[in-house]
Amino acid sequence: MQDFLELTVSAAASGCIYGLIALAYLLMIRPTGIINFAVGEWAMVGAFGGYLLLSKFEWPYPLGMAAVLVFMLVIGWLTERIAVRPLVERGAPLLAPILALLGMLVVFREAISVSFAPDPHPVPYALGIQRQSFFIIAVTSVVFIGVWLFFERTIAGKSFEAVAIHRRAAALMGINLSRVTALSFAAGAGAAGLAGLLVSPNVSAHYLMGVPLAIQGFTALVIGGVGRVEGALLGGLLLAFAEQLTVRYAPIPAGYAQGVPLLLLMLFLLLRPTGLLRAK
Amino acid sequence: MSSLLRWLGAALLLAGAAFLLSDYHNDVYRKLLLWVTLALSYNFLFGICGQIAFSHFAFYGIGAYSVVIFLFQFHLPFPLAILLGIALCILFALAVAIPSARLEGFYLALATLALAQLFIVVLNEGGAVTGGPGGLANYKLPEFLGTRIRGPWYTAVIVLLLLGTLAVLWRLDRSWFGRACRAVRDNPEVAAAMGVDVARTKVTAFTLTSALAGIAGMVYAFVDNTVNPPIFGLDNAFLLLFMVIVGGAGRHAGAIIGAALLFLVPFVLSPLIGHHHVLVFGVLVVAAILLQPRGLVGLYDAIRRHP
Amino acid sequence: MKNLLAVAAALLAASTFAQEPIKIGVITDRVGVSKPYSEPCTEGTVFGAAEINRRGGVLGRKIELLIEDDQSRPDISAALARKLIDQGAVFILSMSLTPATQQQQTVTMEAKTPQMTPMNSGDTLTTQLPNPYFWQTGPLGSIQIATLLAHARAQNLKRVALISDNSDLGQLLARFFRAGLEKAGIQIAAEEVVPRGATTAEPQMQKIRAANPDAMFMAGVLTAENVLIFKAYRQFGLKFQIHSSYNLSVPVYMSVAKGLIDGVTFVDAYDPDKPEVKQFVAEYTKATGKAPFNMHGYGYDGIMMVAEAIRRAGSTDKEKIREAMQQTSYAGVMGAKGMKYRFPEGKRAGFDPDGMVVRVYEGDRQGRVVHVGQK
Repeated sequence: MQDFLELTVSAAASGCIYGLIALAYLLMIRPTGIINFAVGEWAMVGAFGGYLLLSKFEWPYPLGMAAVLVFMLVIGWLTERIAVRPLVERGAPLLAPILALLGMLVVFREAISVSFAPDPHPVPYALGIQRQSFFIIAVTSVVFIGVWLFFERTIAGKSFEAVAIHRRAAALMGINLSRVTALSFAAGAGAAGLAGLLVSPNVSAHYLMGVPLAIQGFTALVIGGVGRVEGALLGGLLLAFAEQLTVRYAPIPAGYAQGVPLLLLMLFLLLRPTGLLRAK
Repeated sequence: MSSLLRWLGAALLLAGAAFLLSDYHNDVYRKLLLWVTLALSYNFLFGICGQIAFSHFAFYGIGAYSVVIFLFQFHLPFPLAILLGIALCILFALAVAIPSARLEGFYLALATLALAQLFIVVLNEGGAVTGGPGGLANYKLPEFLGTRIRGPWYTAVIVLLLLGTLAVLWRLDRSWFGRACRAVRDNPEVAAAMGVDVARTKVTAFTLTSALAGIAGMVYAFVDNTVNPPIFGLDNAFLLLFMVIVGGAGRHAGAIIGAALLFLVPFVLSPLIGHHHVLVFGVLVVAAILLQPRGLVGLYDAIRRHP
Repeated sequence: MKNLLAVAAALLAASTFAQEPIKIGVITDRVGVSKPYSEPCTEGTVFGAAEINRRGGVLGRKIELLIEDDQSRPDISAALARKLIDQGAVFILSMSLTPATQQQQTVTMEAKTPQMTPMNSGDTLTTQLPNPYFWQTGPLGSIQIATLLAHARAQNLKRVALISDNSDLGQLLARFFRAGLEKAGIQIAAEEVVPRGATTAEPQMQKIRAANPDAMFMAGVLTAENVLIFKAYRQFGLKFQIHSSYNLSVPVYMSVAKGLIDGVTFVDAYDPDKPEVKQFVAEYTKATGKAPFNMHGYGYDGIMMVAEAIRRAGSTDKEKIREAMQQTSYAGVMGAKGMKYRFPEGKRAGFDPDGMVVRVYEGDRQGRVVHVGQK
């Protein structure tokens, strides 16, 4: 029983990380249809931000966290400016920005790889080793509640939704499409960077951390469905619980344990192709 | 007749080149030809049929490993080993494609991502059969009529593989099936309305291109006479995607140009700028897409149109 | 007069280097997964080559390193081996991923070119292919586990846990750790794998805790994932002893696993109290302004052994170098005090089975040597 409770906390924390990455995908996919696989590298940038500010310069945690968040918003906005807007303005097919962002993934990773030593870099806990899981869960809850309220309760959020439902109609209604796109990328980078900062005390900041996070977050997104904000979190939690319960309780050799959640997910998707939650 | 001559000429030219090259350049040439072959079949799947899959390298690996295992672990005769290897690829491809075809959007991407990861897990855990993380080595291409094909002659075999793959894809692309694939890519609803069986088209294209990747893998198995897990990992699957994009998705010429360029970039840039070459590679990819979303082949078209 | 002497000396030096340099190929990884280990190892080799040239070179000729980056991609690695051979390298030093070294071997075997890896430690590298032109001098997985077990003998272990990661070297080491434990008649009560990219090792450590082992052996080589293991261990307040592979001997753990590793024992090929090591550290620091660690030592010993073999061969003929290499008996930076690299009875793995030491983390510092060899 003790094991199960511990595992619940640990899987919930991992699930929150996956959920934040899935949220980053979702914030960009909803209004623009663009899947941005560079979210994993954004998380890496966030983690390195944490290393620099919190470990190296020893800033107080809240200040460092706020600085990383602001920096990530700028990074997201810049990414949109460089790799997305020129293509969207030219009316390029949807695949073009997706691919340009894949290129940006390489640029981000290599920029970090050539600027820092290849070894992992430590990032401190917010409140100590025993409380990090709870801190992750708390911050993620705040983020998700905030995003949910934004979409459900504010005019700006409604305009995002309008763009998600029908771009052209939204534009005719006077919504500034390019501003919505820029904001969605900034917010996506914010969510991803936060995920990176939160997970980095565990996994450390290193140049290869991005792609696994991108894959885990993508899986969470597909499970939860791209329709609703809550789906991202639910998908993340489901994936993390599947992973950790399999490792802990499934009677199979350790090497194969990593494969089981993947198989479960495939099966799940066959039964429920739109993900857990459908769009409203 | 003239088209047959043209193919023959290409074969002679490409294979002949191998006999003029040094060992090193021959090796790079062989691997380049294999990448081009893979890019061609992947281009059909991704560029022409519009399916995003990350399993192409896993099928390359299934082909490579299966032929080695059937030949040297189970001691089956050569033709049987090849046929069984292809059958295995088709089987796995169907198992992934049939369920995925019912689903939309990213599900094939996810399913193939899972397949690619599972494949590596199985290779690592396979014990004596797959050789585990060290892979399999210490085998040689079986002899035919008392001689073993090696050196530039083996390069010629790869040239045949490339041209064979290209010929198959070329014919398909111009057939009814190719048009159906493009229709499915551009708008599945319209394609269905036109009487195209969307699911069947997707499954057929996926299975066929995966089998082609498997055959290329069988040829790869005897390039260095060793197979090991890292070759067939996800990194290379992403690289393949980049190649098709940079060259120009949906065009055979694009796949060839993209594969050649991106495969050769590290060989050329690494000695010049050291470990920054990957950064340059990333910038190149972004720049290529920004400047010409239809890839380098699109750039070529644009130049030809407005000289 | 003094000036004249200096000029004469310079002329003499110039004339000894007038001949073609001896080309030695190095295949390393500057971008991929092996980068954290390949880079310092290569730096050690570069420093070693400069030392050799400063002392007059080999056979009166200078050594020239041809360094290539394979990005840990085995197919590219094999192509680079051909490139180096075409460029006239008489020896290839491999400092990349284990499978990459393996794939290079298919080339060196065919081209009959001597090749050595000074750092790869998978036992299978010299057993899988009958390649008389290949040697490895990294401490094998089987030596690591035997040394750890020799040290732990007093603890009378009955049931232990084994934990690793899913990297190729991690899997390979786990395989030889498993074999070593079985040979010693110790039951493996739990065997776990932390996959690359995991965000926690808690479920794995729970399973190990449930098995209630006498001790835990770590065979993983991924730093971030190993740190996850230590974190779960501390979080659960576990008490059993941890014995780790040589991966814990790199200094990065002192900063990235701060406060987590006190008391962990690990096997190392590097004894900081050994006179050769002290001299190496002093000279390297003086020349580069940066303190070396054990990875530099692997690369340094590698180039030194190659140079010494060429010296004994008396020529750059590859077959003569092969024969000389097989006769190696060389005391270097790595290994316990007095250890020599040797390849007896046609063996091509040259790290002395009794040449490893066991060390303990004291606080966050890599502490003293507590055990030597397998006895």
